[in-house]
Amino acid sequence: MKKNLVNHKSEQTEINVSPLIDMVFILLIFFIVATSFVNEIGISSAYKDSNSKSDNPKPPLFFNLSGSGQVINNGTTIGLEGVAAKVRNFSTHEPPSVIIQVSKGAKAGLATQVMDQALLAGAKAVKLSVDSK
Amino acid sequence: MDEEDGAINVSPLIDVVFILLIFFIVSATFVNLPGIDVSRPKVQNASSLQKNSVLFALSDKSEIFHSGKIVKLSDVSPLINKAMKDKNKPVVIQVDKWADATVLTELVSEAKKVAHSVSLATLKNR
Repeated sequence: MKKNLVNHKSEQTEINVSPLIDMVFILLIFFIVATSFVNEIGISSAYKDSNSKSDNPKPPLFFNLSGSGQVINNGTTIGLEGVAAKVRNFSTHEPPSVIIQVSKGAKAGLATQVMDQALLAGAKAVKLSVDSK
Repeated sequence: MDEEDGAINVSPLIDVVFILLIFFIVSATFVNLPGIDVSRPKVQNASSLQKNSVLFALSDKSEIFHSGKIVKLSDVSPLINKAMKDKNKPVVIQVDKWADATVLTELVSEAKKVAHSVSLATLKNR
């Protein structure tokens, strides 16, 4: 009898935590939903700014992207497949920096693929620039 | 006896939930998604980009999107500065493969003025 009485007393002094749990759960679910884990994959060209040319005495390798989607190096059309070979054969000592000059009308997908091929072939830096011609 | 009362001891549950809550509050970085779907170019050596970045998208009609709105090229660097809040986040551009490459070039160079790293989001080539 006495034990029951004690139990009854302690139950009365307890704080009712159910609303607290409800609230915390709602906050938890809100933050779980709001946390958007953006996981992108892609390429980083990691080039230096075009102004700081002093530390790069080697001339860069130029590719031109024509408006009709051709990849041109030194006046000859090489296509996307020829980019990696050009970058590899450009210099035996050190990987070249690559500048891709895009003309109006060239597609960004092609420019990205040329950048990718150049980086794959070991180009140290790839830079996009607009062909002013 | 506790079982006789039918009461479950909820204190450990609250502890765990609080820890989870604090984890999610701390790790919550409210990323502004650009708001459009682009068809990304396929490349061969794509790597995982840094999380918690400032996102831009370039649509196939060569419009620049940031957090659901079309923005002008001249607004890009102020927007990056605003989004960074002097934390120097990387910039990720989701580029559509049919976008104009000259616009992409201008966007990259504009972003490069204020951000230390500018990357292009792509598909992994399989």
